[in-house]
Amino acid sequence: MNTSCPRLRLPLALGLWLLAALGLVCPPAAAAEVPAEDALLRVLQTSNSPAEKAMACRQLARRGTARAVPVLAPLLADVELASWARIALEAIPDPAADAALREAAGRLQGRLLVGVLNSLGVRRDAQAVALLTGRLQDADPEVADAAAVALGRIGTPAAAAALKARLLEAVPPLRAALGEGCVRAADHLRVAGQTGAARDLCDAARAAALPPPQRLQALRGALLVRGAEGLPLLRETLRAEDRRSFQLGLRVLRELPGNRVTQVLSSELPSLPPERQPLVLAALADRDDAELRPLLVRVVQATNTPALRLAAVQALERHGTADALPLLLEAALAPQPELARAARQTLSRLRAPGVEAALVARLTTAPDAQRPVLIEVCAARRLTGALPALIPALDAPQPALRRAAVRAVGALGTVSELPALLRALDTAPDEASRADVESALLDVAGRAGAAALEALLPLMKNADPARRQVGLHALASVGGPRALEAVVAATQDADPEVQDEAVRTLSTWPNNWPEDTAVEQPLLALVRSGTKRAHQVLGWRGYLQHLQVDPRLDDAARVERVRALWASLPGTEEKQAALGALGNWRTPAALDFLQARLAEADLVEAACSALVSLASRNIPGVSAETRRAVLQTVVEKSPTEATRQRARGALERMR
Amino acid sequence: MKPLYIPPCSSPAPAPTLSRRAFLRTAARAGAALALPTVLPAAVLGREGAVPPSERIVMGGIGIGGRGSYVLGVFLQEPDVQVVAIADVQAGKRRAAKQRVDARYGNTDCATYRDLRELLARPDIDAVLIATGPNWHAAASTLAAEAGKDIYCEKPCTKNIAESLALAETMRRTARVFQAGTQRRSLPNFAFAVELARTGRLGRLQSLHAQPLGLKTVMSGWYPPEPAPDPEEVDWDLYLGPAAWRPFNRRLLNAFHFEKGGGFVGALGGGGVLEWGSHCVDLCQWAADADHTAPVEYEPAGNRLLARYASGVQLIMRDDGWLPLGSCPVRFEGDAGWVETADNGDLEASSPDLLVGRSDKIGGYPADFHIRNFLDCVKTRGQPRANADVACWSHIACHAANIALLLGRKLRYDPAKNEFPGDDEANRLRGEALREPWRV
Repeated sequence: MNTSCPRLRLPLALGLWLLAALGLVCPPAAAAEVPAEDALLRVLQTSNSPAEKAMACRQLARRGTARAVPVLAPLLADVELASWARIALEAIPDPAADAALREAAGRLQGRLLVGVLNSLGVRRDAQAVALLTGRLQDADPEVADAAAVALGRIGTPAAAAALKARLLEAVPPLRAALGEGCVRAADHLRVAGQTGAARDLCDAARAAALPPPQRLQALRGALLVRGAEGLPLLRETLRAEDRRSFQLGLRVLRELPGNRVTQVLSSELPSLPPERQPLVLAALADRDDAELRPLLVRVVQATNTPALRLAAVQALERHGTADALPLLLEAALAPQPELARAARQTLSRLRAPGVEAALVARLTTAPDAQRPVLIEVCAARRLTGALPALIPALDAPQPALRRAAVRAVGALGTVSELPALLRALDTAPDEASRADVESALLDVAGRAGAAALEALLPLMKNADPARRQVGLHALASVGGPRALEAVVAATQDADPEVQDEAVRTLSTWPNNWPEDTAVEQPLLALVRSGTKRAHQVLGWRGYLQHLQVDPRLDDAARVERVRALWASLPGTEEKQAALGALGNWRTPAALDFLQARLAEADLVEAACSALVSLASRNIPGVSAETRRAVLQTVVEKSPTEATRQRARGALERMR
Repeated sequence: MKPLYIPPCSSPAPAPTLSRRAFLRTAARAGAALALPTVLPAAVLGREGAVPPSERIVMGGIGIGGRGSYVLGVFLQEPDVQVVAIADVQAGKRRAAKQRVDARYGNTDCATYRDLRELLARPDIDAVLIATGPNWHAAASTLAAEAGKDIYCEKPCTKNIAESLALAETMRRTARVFQAGTQRRSLPNFAFAVELARTGRLGRLQSLHAQPLGLKTVMSGWYPPEPAPDPEEVDWDLYLGPAAWRPFNRRLLNAFHFEKGGGFVGALGGGGVLEWGSHCVDLCQWAADADHTAPVEYEPAGNRLLARYASGVQLIMRDDGWLPLGSCPVRFEGDAGWVETADNGDLEASSPDLLVGRSDKIGGYPADFHIRNFLDCVKTRGQPRANADVACWSHIACHAANIALLLGRKLRYDPAKNEFPGDDEANRLRGEALREPWRV
């Protein structure tokens, strides 16, 4: 059957495919079948639509052969389609594409020529070197720039020679591109093993009057191509007066291979300007050379320069061994806060063998002053082997030691440590200490989950209401049906504050689906028959959040739930919140319900805002015309300009 | 008796987070030995207290729309940054960004430019924020690098494999500090999960899971011509930049989508792996210790894309079956356990023991830490967390996945040669010519 797409007079499949590619119909969900090359060439030869031709070019990039080249080549002179034609020509592997680009380079001017030269560079067409060399002297600076960069991309000895020859006589506008071209070409030469030629080219570029960025690129090339022989030049660079050269030196210091770099620069460090020493040390530390370690230890022990010592302490993270622990522990207690912080961080991250065992062993033998730091470090390193040594410290008389131990047990503890934490709750000497212990308790309970309940549920029977409140918090961190049951029971506690806390806990009950779906009924009970208005309000807020995430409900069911409870809602704020939620539930019922609220003065803005959210998107069963009408109503009725603006924006997008 | 405090309620109701386990804050204060790299202390970098103007990093902002506005705001908070110029092809955005900068510094000094090249020509500017649409990211980064600027570039940074490689090469050659705007690399929950994977605590790594959010189409194409606006208001030629020419149509002015992931792939409905993949696939690359390589196989499988590294570890891109932890989830599975995390900052794991010592919970994927890392590296010349090499390979993984989706078949990829062996059609999709005069 010879079905065709009437507007395009093309075969239907090709027509639909092109329309999809143009974004005029929905694109296919699955992989698109590409039309055959013949069909695409026919589009280029017969269509009057630039859009169709553009998309055909894009597809020829995928499937085109030498046969496509003569059809594409004329488009290189077409201002609108040249870039599309080059998409195809750059991709077609056949040498005919190179020839067509070279031919076009002889007849085009301006930006179209720039594009062609760029493509020749991308294809690294060695046969284009002569024509590109000629274009280095083009009167159009954009063309000369493109030629220089293309030569650099091609990077053959001939291309390099052409660039080098032009370096000294080039006028300033071309110098940046020439510099870029030289460094690109030198990289190609270096990779090809022609290091001598690469070095000469970089040196020539360094000697030329290039703009600073290109001069620095050439310097980097000159340093890297020299390898270890470039160390004197690197030393010079690190001492250079201008900041940018020094910064380049820092970068190359990280790149140059060979541990001789570290040996030489380590010995030279003290002779560098003091403000540069920490940065050089940090750069040296980014290398993996073990030769750096003695220098780091020496600096930490002996330097008088705080910034340098800081850099050394940090570098020990990567280069230190267990032998560095005493030094670092001493630094961790230094009066300078930054040094102490850096040392603690290094202790927490040092990965050398034997470090962890040495840290745990020191927990019981270290001087009292060091023990809080050691505990902190063990926690940061997650050394659960440290727990037996930490439990006795939960009751330590020294506040810093006790506090560190409580926090560490919170970080590392399991169900086994809960009894010790509960005891610590009773023995804590002050309110702040109790808060620390409670926090640790919640951390452990949260991780342990239901396994923690045996230890926690007795808290709810404690005679002290404050303990019962701690129990509520801990149960909330566990979640699940047994914890929920205990919290619900606490809403009837003899103590009013415990009741309040239980209600607050319920209103943010963990949504740990599916086991926490049971919170729905207690929340509903609070809304309907809470003994205080505050309980009703919190119950409603919890219920509304629950509604929004309960996976058992679809949007229609959610709307119905709100409708059923509407009359019981405790106040205007709660109704406004409900309207906000309705704006997310894309059903006709939500739309109707919100529209009905437009007549209520205290709800009109909340309804308008929600209506914009709702009507801006597709709603199953509601026409676009209806949605537009709703948005128009908002434009007319909303009391706030921001909402009216949102409605107008939505209308605009629907046009 | 203490009254029960009820915080004021906002309307509309705040969207709840799916997991409200507010008390699950495991040992935040104890800190953790995170996989995050060290940042030199302020004293080393000269940013203790007030920073004199002469020691500030002078910055320009390029393409400041929605996301750019947020990131610019973070830069403006940094005491050692001075933003002095804005470039944008749209006058409204130029004006809004200038207003923001001037308000921050209490003057009217921020210069504005329509053409980014004018901003880049200023020798006083050390670094730039590039937050244009993704169409421009690689080309603008290349121009900035050649102008000697350090670069913080929003993601996705490239449109195809060739651009990814070119971007990394350019940053090496020009010795620039480059940070991709993949800020989850600097967030503690993701770093914690990655550390579990990289240090063997999950056992031998088996599979990495990422949610690129919809192996879906993105907007691109060619729409019917509309009257072109005054270039001073919208410079359409500059807006198109490296994208192939097409007539003005305001539907294309949504730079966030324009030519994302390569107009070619997007226009054909081949997939938008790149938009979120540049975050979540990137995190999987990090977890697999694959920052200098990419998977070697890519296979569309129903609504999933299955990739495999040379090590045998699987990378699974999928939209379904995630725990309710927020957007951009990742999951790492080893033979001894698993961990999953996402944007709400929570972590779930096969065993609570794996979460011992987890770090502070920070939800909402702020960019502050990532930007601080970039600024410190501008001073030290070290490599930021999401440097150009890292971004190159994570983007290549996404581009290769996109190509597999477009072609609808299994592909093999050779990361050493950067080619699909023996597959001419796939190889041709590795790059795409840029409109004149732009190049990368």
